[in-house]
Amino acid sequence: MKIRPIVLLLLLAAAPAGAQQASVTHVTHLLARATYGVRPADVAVVQRSGIAPWLEEQLHPERIADDVVTTRLRQFTTLDLSIPELAERFPTGKQARDTSMAANPRRILIELVAAKLLRASQSNRQLEEVMTDFWFNHFNVFWAKGPLRYMVADYEQRAIRPYVFGSFYDMLKATAQHPAMLVYLDNATSNARRGINENYARELLELHTLGVDGGYTQKDVQEVARAFTGWTVQRRDGVRFVFAPRLHDDGAKVVLGHALPAGRGRADGEAVLRILARHPATAHHIARQLIERFVTDEPPADYINEIADVFLKTDGDLRAVTRALFTSPRFYNAPYINTKVKTPFELVASALRVTDSDLRAPGTLLQTLRSLGELPYTEQAPTGFPASSADWVNSGAMLARINFGIAFAQRSGDRQLSMTLGAPAFQMK
Amino acid sequence: MNRRAFVRSGALALLALGTPPEFLTRSLLANPQGAARKKTLICIFQRGAVDGLNMVVPFGDAAYYEKRRSIAVAAPTRSAAGAALDLNGFFGLHPELQPLHDLFRRNELAVIHAVGSPHPTRSHFEAQDFMESATPGEKTTRDGWLNRVLGDTCAQCSGRSLADGSAHAADHLAGQVAMASGALALRGIAMGAELPHALRGRQPALAISDLAQFGVAGGRQADFQKLYDREAGTVLGSAADGAFEAMRILKSANPLQYRPASGVQYPAGQFGRALSQVAQLIKSGVGVEIAFVDIDGWDTHQAQGGAQGRLAARLRELGRGMRALYDDLGDHMADVVVLTMSEFGRTVAENGSGGTDHGHANCMFVAGGGVQGGKVLGEWPGLAAEQLYEGRDLAVTTDFRDVFAEIAARQLGARNLEKVFPGFAADRARWRGVLA
Repeated sequence: MKIRPIVLLLLLAAAPAGAQQASVTHVTHLLARATYGVRPADVAVVQRSGIAPWLEEQLHPERIADDVVTTRLRQFTTLDLSIPELAERFPTGKQARDTSMAANPRRILIELVAAKLLRASQSNRQLEEVMTDFWFNHFNVFWAKGPLRYMVADYEQRAIRPYVFGSFYDMLKATAQHPAMLVYLDNATSNARRGINENYARELLELHTLGVDGGYTQKDVQEVARAFTGWTVQRRDGVRFVFAPRLHDDGAKVVLGHALPAGRGRADGEAVLRILARHPATAHHIARQLIERFVTDEPPADYINEIADVFLKTDGDLRAVTRALFTSPRFYNAPYINTKVKTPFELVASALRVTDSDLRAPGTLLQTLRSLGELPYTEQAPTGFPASSADWVNSGAMLARINFGIAFAQRSGDRQLSMTLGAPAFQMK
Repeated sequence: MNRRAFVRSGALALLALGTPPEFLTRSLLANPQGAARKKTLICIFQRGAVDGLNMVVPFGDAAYYEKRRSIAVAAPTRSAAGAALDLNGFFGLHPELQPLHDLFRRNELAVIHAVGSPHPTRSHFEAQDFMESATPGEKTTRDGWLNRVLGDTCAQCSGRSLADGSAHAADHLAGQVAMASGALALRGIAMGAELPHALRGRQPALAISDLAQFGVAGGRQADFQKLYDREAGTVLGSAADGAFEAMRILKSANPLQYRPASGVQYPAGQFGRALSQVAQLIKSGVGVEIAFVDIDGWDTHQAQGGAQGRLAARLRELGRGMRALYDDLGDHMADVVVLTMSEFGRTVAENGSGGTDHGHANCMFVAGGGVQGGKVLGEWPGLAAEQLYEGRDLAVTTDFRDVFAEIAARQLGARNLEKVFPGFAADRARWRGVLA
């Protein structure tokens, strides 16, 4: 009785002793970080194919068949509705009182999270999934802020996912022009006549691009805010980005030492995005964040420089950047292996993935994610969810993790499984 | 000696003597004989930067009305509803903070205005980090000021790791009665899924999402305890250890048996629930010295409103929650201090969206039976253009660490303030006198 869980642990960690140990260790480490859970069968597959070819395949998700997931996603009918359609079918406020539970906007969130869990646990395009999660979190928006509940699915599908292996500038621009971001960080209401709103400008510099130590000043924040006046949302025939010249501050501006001549209208904002996307501070900030999320809680300077160089040399080609992140010899440094704690979402997704479980009762899993502190799409602060282990380990959280393992195993009627999922080893990646 | 072996053998010895260990545990933890009741600090963090100028309105400063055309709160009048509630002829509480107005008039609530950080950052996460580490400008401080207070106020725990700290808890339980004024695992608690930076560090501290759920499901505690005992000394092992320790204590003290005092109604939602559970923990005498509760939704860049509206709704929840906690704790408030904080203030002038952007100095509340209340403390720097920080924000006249230091010393008994506030010369002359 005491041996079984240990054997299971070994299987799940897929680190048996033997001649090929080094390679198994590396493959397992890669899968632990670049997918939502290490399955023994996958380890064998990647061992046969080699790390580089597997990574190359994952970097081109359009080449990977994913029919099962595509079919299963059809059950979530809200995912295909446009922003105005969602707003009409799931009204809030006064109109909502007359509608049934079937029209409760919460259903949108349940389907969003369920779809994310389904993709994370079953998609063959694993790297696309983890990178979509990373970049959504990098450009975080908050589902519960006003009309964002109708916009977040569209935001992920149109502003984030298409660019995770594309150009950073394109993703930056897509987020800057998406109604979800324009409303979330209030740029939609920034107004040259009544007064600028600094919210988007500050988070653009601090979180999306340069980083808090990226060398910008309060004056830069104000100049960037002026440049983006007029970037707003129009709500007639669809909900979409529009440049409103009457809201724009048409005077000359200086951003990070670059002069923006007067009278250029919408081109101001695009010029700012271009300056930021190519800035060395941005490259370092992105490199640091990638390493913190996927490699170690304490990103070392040489690794940051290595990835930042690729970012700068390729003008922010995120496929090249991601490839460099996972092929660098630094990624496979022994002290990094098995030392990061899974975030709550990773814990839940990996339990589904390694046990090959169908997604039943997603409402219960939503509750679990909420109580563990990481219900996707609901982080209010623009910083997004934290990536470092220290943020996810505390005494209360350990109980919640253990209880998740017990509840999850109960559904499958397998008592031993709870000892596996609740064990220390399963909390790590 | 292995701690668990020690605890177990101790319990066996007691059984041999015919003493029920549970009885012993309860008497040690719940009602330490002759010991003074625990002093407790409850911190409320308003994450997102509350607009302190509309929370405590400087209606006596003409510039306030010049710069806030659509969101200002009117000066107090005898008749009009929706006006500020007068505090001292110059400042007034936002009308939705009515529940706190009584406490001010009973001299049990003090306001500190123009308090903040010497660091200029207007970044939420950076400023929150600096406030919680209490080392503004120093990003590498890993532990929080409240955790360092815990280390300083229990000499036996100081400088030990979490695992060692638990061994010390075992000492408490194993008969060193003089020390047994509380259980180690519950000295510092945060209500929520995450432990805030302020409570992180070497001393054990606990995050509790929901007291009713705090336990291992299906009676499986022993199974998992064995599993995690093998991880002793690791981050996960230590965290689990603290959880098992706390579970044992909570099982015996059963805080859920304490219902809110009659007539007390906490506001619906996470904040009210968190406060009601803090009250249950304090009433059950499990040794809580520091409790930490978050309330968010203060980042009002857009349409924040004045006497009514978005900010007013947040303040209503804050005011009702704090008052419910105060009334629920009743006599206990003689030993409790409630302190509010927020990472920075907001711009004096409203922006083009009917909101306010990130600013500088802010405002704090301190409430409790021992508080020198009924006063608005600190110097008012003024809101005229030339008086503003960087030409736009309320200037700081009280370093937030001076407030923290006074409370750490006078409420919690911290002595080595240079260790609790590294790099900061604590000076009693600068303290605002919120506590006797």
